[in-house]
Amino acid sequence: MDFIIEGIHKAFQLIFTLDSEIFNIVLLSLRVSLTAVILASLLGVYLGFLMAVKDYWGKRFSVALVNTLLALPTVVIGLIVYSLISRRGPLGIFELLYTPSAMIIGQFILAVPIIIALTHSAVQGIDKRVRNTALTLGATEAQSAWMVIKEARYAVLAAVITGFGRVIAEVGAAMMLGGNIKGSTRVMTTAIALESTKGEFGFAIALGIILLFVAFSINILLHYFQSKRV
Amino acid sequence: MDKLIFKVRDLKKVYNNKIVLDVDNLNFQEGKIYAIVGPNGSGKTTLLNILNLLEKADEGQIFFYDQEITNKSNSDTLEIRRKITLVNQDPFLFHSTVYDNIAYGLKIRSIPPKVQKSRIRSALNIVGLSGFKDRKANQLSGGEAQRVVIARALVIEPEILFLDEPTTSIDQKHIDVVERVIKKIKKEIKTTVIFTTHDLSQAYRLADEVISLLDGKIIKQVPENLLRGEIIEEEDNLKWFKTAGNIKFAIVSEKVGLAYISIDPRDIILSYEQFQSSARNSFLGKITKIIEQNHLVKLEIDIGIPLVVIITRESFFKMNLNLGSKVYLTFKASAVKLY
Repeated sequence: MDFIIEGIHKAFQLIFTLDSEIFNIVLLSLRVSLTAVILASLLGVYLGFLMAVKDYWGKRFSVALVNTLLALPTVVIGLIVYSLISRRGPLGIFELLYTPSAMIIGQFILAVPIIIALTHSAVQGIDKRVRNTALTLGATEAQSAWMVIKEARYAVLAAVITGFGRVIAEVGAAMMLGGNIKGSTRVMTTAIALESTKGEFGFAIALGIILLFVAFSINILLHYFQSKRV
Repeated sequence: MDKLIFKVRDLKKVYNNKIVLDVDNLNFQEGKIYAIVGPNGSGKTTLLNILNLLEKADEGQIFFYDQEITNKSNSDTLEIRRKITLVNQDPFLFHSTVYDNIAYGLKIRSIPPKVQKSRIRSALNIVGLSGFKDRKANQLSGGEAQRVVIARALVIEPEILFLDEPTTSIDQKHIDVVERVIKKIKKEIKTTVIFTTHDLSQAYRLADEVISLLDGKIIKQVPENLLRGEIIEEEDNLKWFKTAGNIKFAIVSEKVGLAYISIDPRDIILSYEQFQSSARNSFLGKITKIIEQNHLVKLEIDIGIPLVVIITRESFFKMNLNLGSKVYLTFKASAVKLY
């Protein structure tokens, strides 16, 4: 029992003394996950929008596929990307394995289906009159599409935030692709996993608290945007 | 002769194997105001949407001035689409302020912000909503929203303004404003206006020309009290016409099924007491509108649906009728004309 209380005590000490190792880990986590989510949003919002407004062959299949990918286990993503970028893999020459870039690729793959699926349903929920109104006021196809996205803005932002919440908290892909190398690819989740097995509870709990704080902030943001959804 | 702004030739539109629009020949002249009248489902909105390039025709041709625009893609018709605009029956406002809504058409045309500002101010003036520019769109009443939508259309200075049932779902105060705006457009801006309406008297009040649609076809004259419903046969072999609001009229008919009927407003007899007669149709109603027209008086009477009744001035004064008076309407089954 004592070790837990001691751990919590140590954790607050580390947080309030702005321990440089902890904060480097937090910064790396944010950098990797934000990069992954920004890239995933560029693709995911675009595809989600197209899936909602265009009629094409295999539409229902693609929606089902994206929804299935929502349940993709992070270790499976890790496995797939690992096999592609490891030395013997087809992309081995880029030497990406155990770099932050590898983690970004893994988290990107994790976030894309989430952002596609949520954007798809956000755009589908938008009044069909938005596009027609824009067109009758003289909009080009692209301008009317942008108006639809703008009308869905809060729900699309919620999609992006949900994607971020998922990737910042995942551990499987970060561990397999980043390798948890100190000072290079060690992020919050992988550090917590390692430090707790090492018995460094204070360190792990400090990161846990920060991670919870990030998750909490994300949820507050999410609620804010969802309540603005009209 | 004035220039023809729109020409429609042999236009057909089919939904679910049913022809909903079948127009041989229709011309619209520059600068005039047109009313398209007809009951629900007569094809008014479909015609408007096709002229507006929102829907495609299945057959036929449409010309804007002399340029054929039938079934062109949205990008091919951008230039034309920017000269025309439609105000929908069920208007949609973007989730932003009144100002941003009205500015939209100007922004996408890259009109400089200074010009935008002054044009928006005058558009809001025309619809009588000067102080409304910073209001949020979702805080407006239905009538206010309708007026903002009209301002949003006027601000782009269209050559043709289409209005789909602009006064159907708003109250009298806003109807008056909308009608005033249409008159003002005619007098000051000289934009061609094409609007649809249920209200025949409104059509004649505002338009230079009234086009009547029934079952997708243009008919010469629109009768008053035109209703859509279903003819049913009851056990006693008598035929009845049932409206969507479940009001039943005795009629003389060979067929059953969906149909249109009209009742000549001069064939309806008004009385304070229900009387015994050979006439099979008798309804109690309340007078909701009184319009004097020379030696005649036109009454709108609500019997569950509004019916128009025309009586002489003499009868009107002799019966001492007022708004809200309750009267019986009596007419023969043979007075109901079937289409």
